[in-house]
Formats: sequence, structure tokens, C-alpha cells
Amino acid sequence: MSDSKITQIERDTLATMASTSWLYWAGLAASVGLVALGGWAWSLALRRGLGVLGLNEPVMWGALITTFVFFIGVSHSGTLVSAILYFTRSPLRAAIGRSAEAMTVITILTAGLYPIIHIGRSWLFFFVLAYPNQRQLWPNFRSPLTWDVFAISSYVTVSGLFLYMGMLPDLALLSRHVTGWRRPLYRMLSLGFSGTDAEWTLFEKAYPIFAAVVIPLAVSVHSVVSWDFAMSLMPGWHSSIFAPYFVAGAIFSGIAMAILLLAGLRRGYKLERHIKPAHFDLLAKLLLAMSVVMTFVYLTEFFMAFFRGNAAEVETFRWRATGAYAWVFWLVMVCNGVAPLACFWARVRRSLPALIVISVLVTIGMWLERFLFIVTTLAHSYDPANWGHYTPTWPELLICLGGFGWFGMLFLIFVKVFPSMSVAETMQHEHALSLPAAEETEVSHAG
Amino acid sequence: MPDDLVAVFTDPDLAAAALGRLSAMDVSGARVISPAPYPAVHLTGRPGPWRYLGAIALVGGLTGLGAATALQVITSRSLNIIVGGKPIVSWPAFGVVMFELTLLFAGAFNFTALVVLCALARRKVPAAARRLVDTERIVVVIPAAQARGADAGRIRGALGDAVEVRS
Repeated sequence: MSDSKITQIERDTLATMASTSWLYWAGLAASVGLVALGGWAWSLALRRGLGVLGLNEPVMWGALITTFVFFIGVSHSGTLVSAILYFTRSPLRAAIGRSAEAMTVITILTAGLYPIIHIGRSWLFFFVLAYPNQRQLWPNFRSPLTWDVFAISSYVTVSGLFLYMGMLPDLALLSRHVTGWRRPLYRMLSLGFSGTDAEWTLFEKAYPIFAAVVIPLAVSVHSVVSWDFAMSLMPGWHSSIFAPYFVAGAIFSGIAMAILLLAGLRRGYKLERHIKPAHFDLLAKLLLAMSVVMTFVYLTEFFMAFFRGNAAEVETFRWRATGAYAWVFWLVMVCNGVAPLACFWARVRRSLPALIVISVLVTIGMWLERFLFIVTTLAHSYDPANWGHYTPTWPELLICLGGFGWFGMLFLIFVKVFPSMSVAETMQHEHALSLPAAEETEVSHAG
Repeated sequence: MPDDLVAVFTDPDLAAAALGRLSAMDVSGARVISPAPYPAVHLTGRPGPWRYLGAIALVGGLTGLGAATALQVITSRSLNIIVGGKPIVSWPAFGVVMFELTLLFAGAFNFTALVVLCALARRKVPAAARRLVDTERIVVVIPAAQARGADAGRIRGALGDAVEVRS
């Protein structure tokens, strides 16, 4: 591999840090604007109380919890996909692994804001932490809400370490190339990694162990979030299919978000050499597969409800498809079940604009899907005397939009401060491709 | 380590070829410092205490399992409140937190082990040689004992593709 090629790889992989386009500033300004709006709406809820939100009996979980579940879902697939790509030795990982892992950590940090906002007196959020007997708090380890605290805090810690571990070699390299405040920062963060053969051997042994820890943890965290609902006896929630349904939905929404982020990075930093149409093609196929799984799950839910014939459950599902929120239901079906079917066509899978439109639709569809199952069950459960209707108020919607801004802002800061692609992995991958045997294999595959 | 022979390569394949030549000459103890895990880093016999990593992760997992079990059992017993007819020590419900903390501790121990073992392992390579590595520079270090022997000339010859050889 020639010097110029190595320099090109270095320049490409560090492009997001080196240059700042108007697109970056526009994105950052929009994100900060949304955060400001969301923050202001939250301050309204803090000053005037939760009455400014649309929550009322019987619907006490609304748009905020919907956004929490949505972001946890998005977070699920980043680290999971990265770990799976690692084990399958996929060349895709060098291009998308880092962004996907960063997406995971940032979305969990975003998701974690919503239960804190939802509890109203946010300054007492630490009451949700379970620790024995202090101030007569009662940690009920039989409650899925307590499981949630452990699952999410474990996931954010492990995902953060997974991201950090992968960055160690890059930080060591970067510390030699940067000046100013970045130099001591990267040197400190690299923890002395210097690339000796012994360190690489340790790294290559430790990384798969960590990846093996991450995969079951990722699956468990969204299963636990699903059990927040499924462990209750509410119609529409009390279902054994909920954990796999949530995991599938999480991967689905995460892939859509990954496509959007990678498309932005590719366009904004001219990373066409590394983030290729073939990568989007593979992600689109995954999106299509998960869409089919989601449609199957939606149909299974209805089939089970009507087959069993439990009156409350039948009524909940009938109302979900034909009642006050029917437009949401059908929009979800179109966004999640119909739109991704376009990915059956190779031309669509390789068309970035088309994929962006589909991914935006899936993102909207998945948020609405979470909204639908949370709200319709609470608004229309066992007792007709207790049926109600819920419409999110504008402060609530602004707080939700603020979360998207928060996510965008943190991601944009991340790609500016840290490399959005793995330098070491890209160099290793490009070197493997430059070997004569690899070239022959590529040609024979192409043939 | 003074008098070590340090060779700097700009191409990972040339570094690997040089290590192959050294190996053919029965030169042992050569070390490589590389910006990426190129094949050259695997030609020095995979040094380092990596065999401990799996065991350390396992110990971490078991520690997490024990911590989760103790936390839940001790807390539930001390509060002694029956919820939903479930027993005070309710193993199926406790299983979730046990699972989460097992994986959390396994990951944390694995990461800590990596950092500590790397710090110990890198001390065997001279700091001056470690500072030479960069995106375009792969460094091969031959121990002084080998570099000063009767084969010194041949060793230097084997490193002929290096852009710089210094001792």
C-alpha cells in the first residue's frame, strides 16, 4: 500500500474533524434551535407544572414516554449492528461502525432525558435509582421499571466503553497530528496506547469479548423496555410477543436512522470512497427485511387478539384500527409496512434520495407506532367509563422535537471532535484489499 | 533499551517481508509498532498476556452476578414487603437485574484488563521507538543482543527496505 494511499485514507477518515462546511453549521444551528425550543417548553412544564402537558386520566403516558421508547429503539441497533458486522468480518464495519456506535450512545443519553422530564419534579430524578433503604425509598426489584434503570444504565455504560475501546488506536494516532487543546485531550484519552504488537494482540482478543457482551445486552435492554408494558395486564400490551416485537422494531428504526446519518456524512464530507452505494444497498436490504418482520408482527398481534376473543383486547385492537387514532394506525402501516417495500427494487436501494425519503418515513412511522400502542391501550382499556382521549399539547411536542435537536447536536459535536470512521480499521481494510489475493477474489466475485 | 536496532518502514508489506527474512535467519525477539493491525503485527508470535483476558471477563461477570444477587436479596429481605403475591426473594424477577449486571461487570472488567495489560506490555518496547510510529510509519525493533551479534550485518541487510535504520 503506497504512502499516498495511506495519506488519502487518513485525510478521508479525519475529514469530519478537519473541515467545517456550511451544511455542518446549518445542521448544528437547526439542532441548537430545536434544543432551545425544547428547553423552553420543558422550563414551562417545570414552572407551571405537568398540567401544561396533555396527560390526564386515563392516559398518563403520552408523547414523552413515546419519545423515550423511540430513542431507546434507535439506540438498540447501532452497537448491535456494529458488533454483528465485527463478527461477520464485514467490510461495511470500517465505514459505518463508528457512527453507528456513536448513534447508540447519543440516543441513549437522549432517551434518558424523557423519564426525567416526565416525572415532573425532575430535580428528584435520582429517586428512580434503586439503592437499599436510604431515605426509606423502596426499590422494588420485581418491577420492570426498576429493571429498566439497570438495563439502560448498563447499556449506556457498555456501549460507551465499546465506542471508546474502538477509538483508542485512533486517539493515539490523532494525538500526533493535532495541535492546541486537542493534543493533550487525545493523548490523555488514548490511555497510552502506542500500537505495539503486544497491544494489538491484546486489543484483538479483548474486542471480540466485549462485542460478545454487547450483543445480548443490546437485545436485553429493549426486551426490558417492552416488559414495562407487557408485564402489565393491559389489553394490547400483555403479550408474549412484545420483547421480540420491540427488538425487531428497534433494529428497524435504528437502520433508518443510520442511513440518514451516513447519507449526511457522505454528502457533507465527500466520503464517497468509503461510504459506498453497496453499503447503502446492504442497509436497505436489512431495512426491507425488518419491515417484513414488523408487518408480520402487526398482523400477528391482531390475529392473536381476535382468535383469543378476549372482549377488552378485541375492542382495543378494533379501536386501534378504526377509532379516533385510526389515521395514526394506517399511517404507521404505510410508513413501516408499505414504503420500505420499494427496497425490493435494486434501483431504489442504490438511490440515495429514495433511501432518505424511505428512512424519514420509517422514522416517523416508528415514532407513531410507539405512540399508537401506548396511547390506544391507555385510552381504551377495560372500563368503558374510563375511556378517554389524548392529544399532545404543543409544549409536549416541542419537548419531543427538542430531543431530536439534542440528538443532532451531540452527533454533530461528536463528528467534529472525534473521527467518525475508524482510521485503523479503514487502513487495515484498505491494506487487505490491496493484497494480490484480495484483488483476485474481488475480481472473481465481480465476475 | 540502548543499542536496540530500530527500522522504520513506510509500507506494511515491506515491514512484513523484513520480519519474514528475520524469522528465516532465526532472529527472535523482534517487535513491531504499527498504526493499524497489519499482518506484520502478527509475525512476532503474538506477545503479551492476552490469555488472561477471557478469565478476567469471566471473573467480572461472576462478580456482577454476585453483586446483583446480594443487592436484591439483602434489600428485599430488609424491606420485607410482599408485592403482587410474589415471594420476598423472587428469583424470576431478580433474574433480569442479575443478567444486566453480569454483562456490565464482564464488559467493565474486560476493558480495565485491556488498559492495564496494554500498559504493562508496552513497557517492554523502548519509548523512543514507540514515538516513531505514525500513520505512514511502521517500526520494527530488534533487541540489542541480536543486533550486536555475529549476524548484525545480515540483520541490517534484512531491513534493507526500511527508510531509516538506527540504533
